[in-house]
Amino acid sequence: MTISRRVFVKAGGLAFVSLGLDPLFLARAAFAAGRPAVGPSDRPILVCLFQRGAVDGLNMIVPHGEPEYYQERPRIAVPAKDVVDLDGHFGLHPSLAPLKELWDNKSLAAIHAIGSPDATRSHFDAQDYMESGTPGVKSTGDGWMNRYCQHDREHADTPFRAVAFGPQLPRILAGSAPSLAIDDLQAFGLRVPQEAARDRLTRAFEELYDGAGTGLLASSSREGFEAVQMLKRADPTQYRPDAGADYPPGRLGKTLLQIAQLIKADVGLEIAFADCSGWDTHVNQGSSEGQLAARLRELGLALAAFNRDLGDRMRNIVVLTMSEFGGTIRENGNSGTDHGHATAMLALGGPVNGGRVLGRWPGLGVEQRFEGRDVAVTTDFRDLFGEILTRHLGTTDLSSIFPGYTPSPARFLGAIRG
Amino acid sequence: MPPFLIATVCVLAVQAPSPSLTARDSAFHALNRLAYGARPGEADSVARIGVMRWIERQLDADHVPDPRLAARERQFKILDYDRADLAGRYRDAVRERQRMQREAAATGGGDSMRVRGSAPMREFRELGGELQQLAIVRAALSERQLREVMVDFWTNHFNVFVGKGADRFLLPSYIEETIRPRALGNFEDLLIATAKSPAMLFYLDNAQSVAPGSSPPRPFLSPFRRRRFGMNETRRQPTGINENYARELLELHTLGVDGGYTQQDVINVARIFTGWSIERPERGAGFVYHDWAHDQGDKVVLGQTFKSDGEGEGVRLLKFLANEHATMHHVSAKLCARLVADEPPDGCIDAAVAAWQQSRGDIRTVLRAIFTSPDFWSAQAVRSKVKTPFEFVVSAVRATGVEPDDTPRLAQLVARLGEPLYQQPAPTGYAETEEHWVNSGALLARMNAAVAIAKDCSSVPAIDDHAQLVDVINELLLGGAMSAHTKSVILEQLTDITDPGQARALAVGLALGGPDFQKQ
Repeated sequence: MTISRRVFVKAGGLAFVSLGLDPLFLARAAFAAGRPAVGPSDRPILVCLFQRGAVDGLNMIVPHGEPEYYQERPRIAVPAKDVVDLDGHFGLHPSLAPLKELWDNKSLAAIHAIGSPDATRSHFDAQDYMESGTPGVKSTGDGWMNRYCQHDREHADTPFRAVAFGPQLPRILAGSAPSLAIDDLQAFGLRVPQEAARDRLTRAFEELYDGAGTGLLASSSREGFEAVQMLKRADPTQYRPDAGADYPPGRLGKTLLQIAQLIKADVGLEIAFADCSGWDTHVNQGSSEGQLAARLRELGLALAAFNRDLGDRMRNIVVLTMSEFGGTIRENGNSGTDHGHATAMLALGGPVNGGRVLGRWPGLGVEQRFEGRDVAVTTDFRDLFGEILTRHLGTTDLSSIFPGYTPSPARFLGAIRG
Repeated sequence: MPPFLIATVCVLAVQAPSPSLTARDSAFHALNRLAYGARPGEADSVARIGVMRWIERQLDADHVPDPRLAARERQFKILDYDRADLAGRYRDAVRERQRMQREAAATGGGDSMRVRGSAPMREFRELGGELQQLAIVRAALSERQLREVMVDFWTNHFNVFVGKGADRFLLPSYIEETIRPRALGNFEDLLIATAKSPAMLFYLDNAQSVAPGSSPPRPFLSPFRRRRFGMNETRRQPTGINENYARELLELHTLGVDGGYTQQDVINVARIFTGWSIERPERGAGFVYHDWAHDQGDKVVLGQTFKSDGEGEGVRLLKFLANEHATMHHVSAKLCARLVADEPPDGCIDAAVAAWQQSRGDIRTVLRAIFTSPDFWSAQAVRSKVKTPFEFVVSAVRATGVEPDDTPRLAQLVARLGEPLYQQPAPTGYAETEEHWVNSGALLARMNAAVAIAKDCSSVPAIDDHAQLVDVINELLLGGAMSAHTKSVILEQLTDITDPGQARALAVGLALGGPDFQKQ
């Protein structure tokens, strides 16, 4: 397949230069040219989960050593006796107990007081900035993950290089580098119930587009049919998780299971992205039990199952959670939290320098807070994303991925083993 | 007689707009660009009238009768509600949800999914779905096709994201009252109307932009009090200017990113609009100007001094921007990218700018200049553009004679293809160019959509003879432009199919999902 694809690209390249076709197609074809074959690999993989709605970082990674935490949250603080202690000062919410094992074997790190340099408390704006990678600049057209794919060309030989799990391509992956949105791995391709009829229709469309000559329609359809074929061989319907990994019911568990499938199918996945929602806890957030606890339980179980399922392959995988901002330090009148500033993120996997809470902790004292009410941001999220791109995925050109930002290894937190 | 009318009359005398196109091909091309594709038989009827005469009729949309659409519009409940009604319904839905959340939490249930399904919220969501479906019904059925195309263009140019807080209930009036009546009017009026629209004021945060140090006279009930109507994203009384609208106004709505403005211009524009805000939802969430919040100093924008005179200053600035050369060029180029080619030639842009200049931004005059430009009719332009998902679905519906029903089915198809209506969060709106719409996942989704739509095809008769069937499909769906390759592939697929209904569904599905129908 690799050979025929290269021939196509080469032949296509000659043809479209003379036809003056658009430079994007040229760029996409260039991605595909001269790539190593896709196969079982030791290539690094990044899996990102976006906790939409702003997770309350203080109840996820609990600063149980801070008296202010308990003073400000009489109804929703997680009691010290319930916290899964990490380092004497911070601890996991009890719902995340399944992840303690990973902390102990040094493959789980928490990053606290991380967020955006932009002060917005709008979900919409803050998510937008975290995905575009340009806080404060609304007009950035593409997302930072797509820009990584544009500039780092190592994986372009597969349609599965960058995959978002969901019905639409999220902002973070929007842009000129090819990326896929897959709502359901088993339903990817043409939706015809009987397999024989499906194969026939697929071949018919494939032939139709074969005649489309060159251009984006031809190259993209080819990528699509290739993806369908690769998935058919991988046969996602027959998937059984390894090591008795038990994914929790619900969207998140199903998504992580499908990401694990795709990784094990060796189709060249490098970046996987998925949303998990339900973190905007303004009312009755709960403490050790309750709304947030239920969401965190699902997260903890899903991540633990993913880690178990992938087993030894986790040596090349980093899973990162992210969220647009955190909750207020003080609980509100409805036993919830309002929109705050900094939050916490989790990084896990073999390459992670785990067993540590990373980032400078600003403290919860009134004078240490952002605008007198929120956890201050001491780590710009681009420093963490930049470190993972550099030290895990091996990119050398951070400044084009985060325009307007001067990345500096001196600000890296040490989240990835050197 | 004004010069542009003379030009029109001259063009009307010309039979075929381009020597390389037949009258029917010209009609098909015009229907692809000024309309959402040809309905069965429409290319012939437009060719009979004369394509330039048909274009003139489309430009004069008010005089095109549209009884069928009017009857369908009456079935849409959303058109019966004004902004205040929708605000009230949304408030009730939010309150009910909060009540249920409290209840669920009190009984120890953490299942927020269940809470989302509360009846008033479901009802409100259904109204939102209606708005999308209405856009599809109008695009598919209206006889005033060019107006619908321009409504889509301006809605996208002045994009507002329906999912941001109060815009959930402000968007319908934005479409009905701000955009639709002005889609073929004057750019300056349209610009001012969007600037004063509550939907835009909320979306780009100008509603909370106040002069630093200003404070409201008491008692003052801010629309931004915590957790009021889902506007809980800003908690306290705003304390300074917000540059968001100012920046997008210059960069996206008027001058363009290379329009020669500086960061200081952005700040000064923001100062000019301080105090432009919205009323509380109980009062209808309409535009309101707060003089207490207005920056009373003089401001300089692009070298022009704007003396402080309250609300009038902002209107003067908008009029100034609307007639700047950079604005004319930026918006004309965008119009040409939509109507002519992704990378439009200079000729049609220059013609549009000249028409803009002499008509002071009359949208119909600018459009007429584009439609009479040789670039519009050139061989390079015809069938050169990939349809957006919305254009793809609506043109398929029109070509196949599918009646858009009241279910959200077609709107969901458009969303699945990557263009959920009114749901572009970024103020840029959706992109016009093919690289944004063509990717492998999206193409597979188009094929699935094509197969689904083909099942309901009523325009193509079920014919026994396969060669004849493919010929009919070629004429009705593709205006005779089906490639020999496509023909032979479809015929090959039909060989062992004897049921004419099944053959029709398969052939139409392949034709709609194949490469030829993706282009316009």
